Amino acid sequence: MTGNLYQPINSKIVDIIDESATIKSFVVVPETEFKFETGQFVELTLPGEGEAPFTPSSSPRETGKMEITIMKAGRLTRLLHECKKGQLVGIRGPYGNGYPIDDFVGKEVYIVGGGVGLAPIRSLFLTLVDRIKDFKSVVCRFGARTPEDFIYKKTLFGPWQQIQGVDIKLTVDEATGQWKDNVGVVTTILKSDDVNVKNAVAIVCGPPIMMKFTTLKLLEFGFPAKDIYLSMEKNMSCGVGKCGHCMIGKYYVCKDGPVFTYEQIKDYPNIWD
Amino acid sequence: METVFVSELKPFLDAVAGQMDLYVPKNAGSHYVYIRYDPSAEAPVEFNNIRACTPVKEFLFPLRELAAVFPEPLEPEEVKPFAVFGLKDCDLRSIEILDKVFTEEEFEDPLYTARREKMFIISSDCFEPGESCFCNILDGQPFAEGGFDLNVSQVKDGFIIQVGTQKGKDFVEKHAELFTTMPDAALVERDENRAEAQKQLERNNVQFALDVPAKDVVRTSYDSDVYDEEAKTCVECQACTRVCPTCHCFYLYDTKQKDYFGKMKMWDSCMRRAYAQVAGGANPRKALGDRLRHRLMHKFSYFLDRYGIDMCVGCGRCVDAEAGGVDIRVVLKKLNEELKDKGKKKAEATK
Repeated sequence: MTGNLYQPINSKIVDIIDESATIKSFVVVPETEFKFETGQFVELTLPGEGEAPFTPSSSPRETGKMEITIMKAGRLTRLLHECKKGQLVGIRGPYGNGYPIDDFVGKEVYIVGGGVGLAPIRSLFLTLVDRIKDFKSVVCRFGARTPEDFIYKKTLFGPWQQIQGVDIKLTVDEATGQWKDNVGVVTTILKSDDVNVKNAVAIVCGPPIMMKFTTLKLLEFGFPAKDIYLSMEKNMSCGVGKCGHCMIGKYYVCKDGPVFTYEQIKDYPNIWD
Repeated sequence: METVFVSELKPFLDAVAGQMDLYVPKNAGSHYVYIRYDPSAEAPVEFNNIRACTPVKEFLFPLRELAAVFPEPLEPEEVKPFAVFGLKDCDLRSIEILDKVFTEEEFEDPLYTARREKMFIISSDCFEPGESCFCNILDGQPFAEGGFDLNVSQVKDGFIIQVGTQKGKDFVEKHAELFTTMPDAALVERDENRAEAQKQLERNNVQFALDVPAKDVVRTSYDSDVYDEEAKTCVECQACTRVCPTCHCFYLYDTKQKDYFGKMKMWDSCMRRAYAQVAGGANPRKALGDRLRHRLMHKFSYFLDRYGIDMCVGCGRCVDAEAGGVDIRVVLKKLNEELKDKGKKKAEATK
């Protein structure tokens, strides 16, 4: 690799989509060609303010631009939420391993997502849908705090559910408005016959507590630890396996992840914290 | 390897300083620090008996540096050749460790490699290892056999200079007039000095000797209470990681300057509470004991798995610097004892 690892690619925010009260998607156009694989992440710099890791939520097929869905969670994300169209930002990456899509061929892909965890999942979902015939089925179980908190509502509540080979069920912690669907945390809608664990892989992305209990449930269903793929979003800073912030045991989440099988990390302490 | 001899250090160091910036150790009371060599200074050149208290990483990976400029990238400033005199074997081993991280093919750090390529290493033997030195516990020794361009050993009548690389050889050939014939007994004397220093180290560390390699001591210690116990006095001063020559954690932060945005790279410490915390508040190592465990695991297990060597050279700087009195040798020894007890219990159980 040549050039400076720490130099971001100049990029521009060309559009901002309000997803929920606390979540926005930013359409970012890098100045030079930028490719990524689904599940890989980028380091997004707000000039002069800071940098943080995000997994693009758009399909890697779109190479001219990418979408990054961001929840207001701390200082930098609050500042990002205040940005307007035209804002200069920096992108470094892509980093990490992404989802091993080819290993999913012929299998049922069981995707469990919660809250803003649907961001990386959308990128994965769009990638799977592009070649939906390669998979036995794509079974999605998504949760949000309230119906308003679901992101990508326009596609999630309609078109995605119509796709042949896709089975989507949604739940909310708290029903508001016209919600007539499931109520309860996402684990309450996971059923042992959702997929055949003998020929399935599970993908989990969401808040740590949700990932923990989903993983426990999947193990209960008989999923082998090696078939549970977790998107571990830690405090990745350099992105290249040096600065140390994102370590889980011997792994650098930025370099060896962010996607890990439960098998890889289950023996390390405090992985869910 | 080729060896030459000088009776005095000054002409030799003057010759080095004539070619490049030279940094030398200076006695600052109970320890050595590095200063820029001044050939016109009247004070005699000091030959440090022990490593400096500051880590060699400062020369390659400074405390804070400008990592990138935004939006118009800045051409990096060219690094001038420089030499460091008086580095010890532990320092050279720490450079080997940093090289693994920062020069790996896939993600080479251009800031580090620019300096590394321009560094001329003149190491020297330790003849009085300090109270905190424990390199012998980790397969180190008080003298270097590789990793230097030139190595200096002090003997009664002068200094033996050993050539380690082509760069070193070129220097010696260029300055042939500086060197005299080696006194007959000089090499024997050097070996005796080295053996004495080694014995000194062993004497100092009898109580810290481990029964098995450090990796085996830490590997099964996830559930050990030793970390929480030993971290009780830690005051989170982070000095251990600052002075550590192998600790290389850093963080990137962004600044606004008059006409550009700068991305800075600065040393960080895994002993800091918020080190691994994410914006949502999750933090896998909230407790001090968890952080101490991670620090030791990284040094003696994780790094070894990835790069094939331990990430500790036993220089003892952390032992000297610790405000809270956490002693890495004690932590290892206690884990060692715990492991022995476990082994005994297991043996008894199977009887």
